[in-house]
Amino acid sequence: MNLLKILTNGLWKENPIIKLVIGLCPTLAVTNTVENGLAMGLATSFVLISSEIVISLIKKWIPNNVRIPSFILIIASFVTFTDYFLKAFFPGIAESLSLFIPLIVVNCLILGRQEAFASKNPTHRAIFDAIGMGLGFTWVLVLLSTVRELLGMGTFFGLEILGAAYQPMIIMILPGGAFITLGVIVGIMNVINRKVESQNG
Amino acid sequence: MAQEDVSLSRLVITLTVIGVVSALILSVVYQWTTPYIEEHQAEAKEEAIFSVLEGAVEYEEVTKNGITFFEGYNESGNLVGVSYIAKGSGYQGTIEIMVGADPSNGEIMYISVLNHEETPGLGARITEEQFKNNFVNKPFGEYELVNREPSDPYEVETIAGATISTRSVKNIVSEAGLTIEENYGGGN
Repeated sequence: MNLLKILTNGLWKENPIIKLVIGLCPTLAVTNTVENGLAMGLATSFVLISSEIVISLIKKWIPNNVRIPSFILIIASFVTFTDYFLKAFFPGIAESLSLFIPLIVVNCLILGRQEAFASKNPTHRAIFDAIGMGLGFTWVLVLLSTVRELLGMGTFFGLEILGAAYQPMIIMILPGGAFITLGVIVGIMNVINRKVESQNG
Repeated sequence: MAQEDVSLSRLVITLTVIGVVSALILSVVYQWTTPYIEEHQAEAKEEAIFSVLEGAVEYEEVTKNGITFFEGYNESGNLVGVSYIAKGSGYQGTIEIMVGADPSNGEIMYISVLNHEETPGLGARITEEQFKNNFVNKPFGEYELVNREPSDPYEVETIAGATISTRSVKNIVSEAGLTIEENYGGGN
């Protein structure tokens, strides 16, 4: 697999949310506004990229029996760093994401990529995998939160879009709206995939 | 990844090294970010003092019995109310609330939640106006949680699905009212 393929793999073919359906807890919880969705996507990408780099560098020295605790320690350190960093320089975002930043530790997307990729591949390939997966996670989060914020509040990035006459659908910013939107998005993606496959086949 | 049979000491050493290195890096990050975080907290505290003491234009810190109170004064220099940061344990972690009260009539003025780690969407709704308004003009005393519109001045309406968080806030504010009464007198 060449590097470009590794990169695009995460964007579409093995997209963590719509294809592998992992990391759904933050996906459903914080996508009620675009700002939160984007910040969550970038924070997760940062943790993913840094831990894939470190783990692919030191994988030789980690005995197989303790690889999971080692991965968790490394991931947790980067998450704690992100938590402090956001609190210090982006207090608004840190407050609205509150508990979900520390919870990045248990996002199975991150541990999953260490197991499936970083612990078996050289560093330069791990970087491309992490960027692809991180961007793949982020774009779905942004799409999901765009739909939810637009329908639920009539705004995009806090800017009024649909005007005062629009009656917001409150359910879209509640957890139920996350399930509905995600279901519709995954459905649309599957239809597109099937079309592409039947044309190629 | 090393597949051969590895000794126990090797496992212990690996985990220890990773743990120590992580701790060292994080302690540096902690040193670096703490001043900024404290600055934001100080700003938030000041904002909270003015939000819970309506009409106050300046405040003064006074320490009584080991508690730091913030006395709010209006433009003509009269005391409008007293506030302090009351703490208690919530569903997960500590809840810190700035409680403002008017000792001259023995009532809570307003509350502002400074820090909490409650569940977003459920317990975190303790920061919403609708819930905080429960405490406006409450006489000092022990409050009671109810599941309906409060009919008694000592009753507080719970948030559906967040009983533990609302109970913590209720207890913290009850105690805060009594503490302010103890230190400043009340109802006289």
